[in-house]
Amino acid sequence: MRTLLRLAVLTLVLTVTGTVAAQSTVTIGAIYPLTGSLAANGVNLKRAVQLAVDIVNNAYPELSGIPLAATEGLTNLGGAKLKAVFADSQGQPSVGESEARRLITQEHVAALMGAYQSSVTKTASRPAELQGVPFLNASSSSPSLTERGYEWFFRTGPTDDTFVADIFKFLDTITSQPTKRVAVVYENTDFGTHTADLVKQLSGSSGRDLVASISYTAGASSLSAQVQRLQAAKPDVAVFASYVSDALLFVKTMREVGYAPPLLVANDAGFSTAQFEKEDGTVAAGVISRSAWAADLGTSKPVASKVAALFEKTYGVPLDGGSSRVLQGALVLADAINRAGSTDPAAIKKALIATDLGRDQVFMPWGGVNFDRNQQNSLTRGVIVQLQNGTYHTVWPSNLASVSLQLPFRWH
Amino acid sequence: MVSARARNLALLGALVALLIAFPFVVRGAYPKQVAILVLLYGALGSAWNVVGGYVGRISLGHAAFFGIGAYVTMWLMTAQHITPWIGMAVGSLGAAGLALLIGWPTLRLKGHYFAMATIALGEVLRIVFNDWAFVGGASGLEAPIHVSWATLTFRSQTPYYFIALAFAVLTAGLVAFYVEGKAGYYWQAIRGDESAAASLGVDTARYKMNGLVLSAGVTGLWGGFFAVHVGFVNPDSVFDILISVQMVLVAVLGGIGSLVGPWLGALILLPLGELTRVALGGSGRGVDLLLYALVIVLITVLQPGGILALWRRHGTPRGS
Amino acid sequence: MADVLASGLLNGLVYALIAMGLALIWGIMDVINFAHGEFLMIGMYTAFWLYTLFGLDPVSTFPVAMIVLAFIGFGTYHLIIRHIMTGPPIVQILATFGLSLLLRQLAFLFFSPNYRSLPHTLVHGSLRVAGVQFGLPQAVTAAAALVAAAALFYAIYRTRWGLALLTVAEDRETASLMGVDPGRVNAQVWMVGSAAVGLAGALMTMFFYVFPGVGFNFSLLAFVAVSLGGFGSMLGAFIGGVIIGLVQSLAGFYLDPALQNAVVFGMFLLVLWLRPQGLFGRW
Repeated sequence: MRTLLRLAVLTLVLTVTGTVAAQSTVTIGAIYPLTGSLAANGVNLKRAVQLAVDIVNNAYPELSGIPLAATEGLTNLGGAKLKAVFADSQGQPSVGESEARRLITQEHVAALMGAYQSSVTKTASRPAELQGVPFLNASSSSPSLTERGYEWFFRTGPTDDTFVADIFKFLDTITSQPTKRVAVVYENTDFGTHTADLVKQLSGSSGRDLVASISYTAGASSLSAQVQRLQAAKPDVAVFASYVSDALLFVKTMREVGYAPPLLVANDAGFSTAQFEKEDGTVAAGVISRSAWAADLGTSKPVASKVAALFEKTYGVPLDGGSSRVLQGALVLADAINRAGSTDPAAIKKALIATDLGRDQVFMPWGGVNFDRNQQNSLTRGVIVQLQNGTYHTVWPSNLASVSLQLPFRWH
Repeated sequence: MVSARARNLALLGALVALLIAFPFVVRGAYPKQVAILVLLYGALGSAWNVVGGYVGRISLGHAAFFGIGAYVTMWLMTAQHITPWIGMAVGSLGAAGLALLIGWPTLRLKGHYFAMATIALGEVLRIVFNDWAFVGGASGLEAPIHVSWATLTFRSQTPYYFIALAFAVLTAGLVAFYVEGKAGYYWQAIRGDESAAASLGVDTARYKMNGLVLSAGVTGLWGGFFAVHVGFVNPDSVFDILISVQMVLVAVLGGIGSLVGPWLGALILLPLGELTRVALGGSGRGVDLLLYALVIVLITVLQPGGILALWRRHGTPRGS
Repeated sequence: MADVLASGLLNGLVYALIAMGLALIWGIMDVINFAHGEFLMIGMYTAFWLYTLFGLDPVSTFPVAMIVLAFIGFGTYHLIIRHIMTGPPIVQILATFGLSLLLRQLAFLFFSPNYRSLPHTLVHGSLRVAGVQFGLPQAVTAAAALVAAAALFYAIYRTRWGLALLTVAEDRETASLMGVDPGRVNAQVWMVGSAAVGLAGALMTMFFYVFPGVGFNFSLLAFVAVSLGGFGSMLGAFIGGVIIGLVQSLAGFYLDPALQNAVVFGMFLLVLWLRPQGLFGRW
């Protein structure tokens, strides 16, 4: 009888402490290309998630306004700590999907984030949709991701539709040189081809001429043919959609040949990464890019500088378009989990749908976070930046600009 | 006195029974997922082995057949709303058709040239599909998320596992049937000394072609399965040269030119890759791939005959 | 048009240089080195680190890259190739494939996955000669390719050492009976072939970016070059490389840049289908 009683008490104690222990961490999963040709980006995005987790779990009162920054842990969950588990997608859609499935069924994550490449994001979000787990995407810009009718997929960052439209709005503000003849150079991927389609569409609707549409395969061993074609087309504006490696090669190849389009505008990705800045910052001064982020955004929003400084201090590299979006996305997710007050995926999904963050509750240059019926953040936006003195500075929109535009573009 | 053949069949039966019981004994989606990968690559390795091990031509472009099967299946589903049950069969035929198309001029090539030609074929398809809007170009084709047996979209991994198991039994049976039959006999002759075989009256061209078509058809079928399992195809993921290499790896590591070899190779290599990635991949330092590479180098240098050779050497000698 | 041909020719000569080292090993030893692209990558990193750490320009450090690669070639032969040479070709393919993955991952681990480039090399810019524009770094590398090719041809076809190599390629046993040590010859072939690709890698940093996976695309083209030219023919590999460069450039400009490699591979398939031994192949 006594043993039975002891056993019962022991069981009760273990259950109670077990439950309490279970409440003390909330796990989210994050899938990025941690190996392969995009590993540099993937590793950087992992850092962004890790910093977000740190901000949530520890007190950062100086980051005023950002939900959960000033306090320690998830306040509505008894101060439970947020934890992130990372998986390598190896840059492949099937691996990303397997890892998502594994994180959901083995690690029992409350929510998922990922996966940089839109092809991997498409597949990684499938198990989440099928199993009913929220999937938050922060840094993929392919519009199709939020056009699939998925219930559990959310995106906080802007899409290419917004980004490329921004580029054309920016071109409309330039009066010092012609912007009528537009050429687009794009990599033969989902991102590149969609950018090219948008450029074609918007050129037409804005009364401009698309004089060249030049594609190439990412990771090409030679881009001389592309540069030659571009040169032959004599555009006023050259729009580029490339990842880092090709962006670097284009710069090299064009410099060799001595050709510089009068206006070089990149649709982010490769051109706006910290990598590109570091490698070609002085050489490619004058390059203009649309970007999700710029280091000088702190002038209009002080908390942005603080977050950027924190990232740079922790990791030794500056915050860029990708890592800033992921950092913000992770914070939004943490806030939703907190508002849900539980690790139940359905509750988190409900909280995400109800997200209503204002301008001052995000460090990104957005109006806040509010998801439309496609679960795409309708308050998100990008900026246009120009590489000056080794870093990118905001040049558009005018209310966020910190420097004036330097034109025309030429090699240094 | 039970004959060796009957004993082998009994063992096989026991194995199949174990495999059927597997998903009910082991819970959770992930182990089933790994098992599906093992079955997939075991089958792909077996199919490759027909050309590589038996006919004796090293192909490094089998992803071409895999990709055709995947794309045909996915395109029929997304553009024509035809169920993958039919799609996979059509994909298999499509891959076999490709083999028929390029088989004659390509099978004339010897050794290294054949290998290079297969690589070139795989790459041409990858690059062309990437640029072909009709099949989705670089964006690829995504299956709508609609759970049903008709679309082969399931929440659980168990149905996929059983389909894979059925396909695996089919693959093993088909390959064994041909290898143990007349075709296998001629393939061995061709592999041994092609000109001698030809001078003895063996229609080498026809039998090489048969081998390639069989190999391609099976590979294409599994390409279709892969497509519906992942729910997405794009040129980089299905025409990837690494898929071709992995097929070769499992066959060689397991024991080239044997029926059991590829399955053994898959059983060892796939879980190894999975385990190392899960344990070490998250760090972002690529240590898992480093280990994988080390394993490949060590096995090829120390035990070129594959795992099977190791087994045979230490096993009891047969009565014959 | 002239510009297109010029850049095609220059790229082609670079491919030719990379292919020749491969052809030497393949031709003499009948071993496929799948890690050839990674050897190129190591050559590139050698030049990169010497530039970044000591400010030395690739035009002066390429000998270092060649020596480093010679060592690596030697090491590869002794640790791996020697044991698998008598085995089936498929095992050679896999062993060197494993090696390529190993080297790539080691580079990833030690050098990080970041893309690097040399922003200000001694040789930079471009030249305009007779109305044709071409990049100086590419031109210098192409010139080096020609010199290296000439040196290799001379060494193999005009010296006693070369004769020893050719006899081993022809008939290993007889060669050893005639006093040639096949083991030593093999090691030397690996050293020379690797040094050649080290030269290419070092000079390429003047116009191409460096990262752990950079070798793959180049090695693929090098393989095609060697097969196109015909196995066993060094001249074939050289010409094969040049043809690939030209076809790639022309296809990229006149057809579709995204399909340029598809045209290269398609052309390659056609040549093989019509001429199964390649352009100058012995067998």
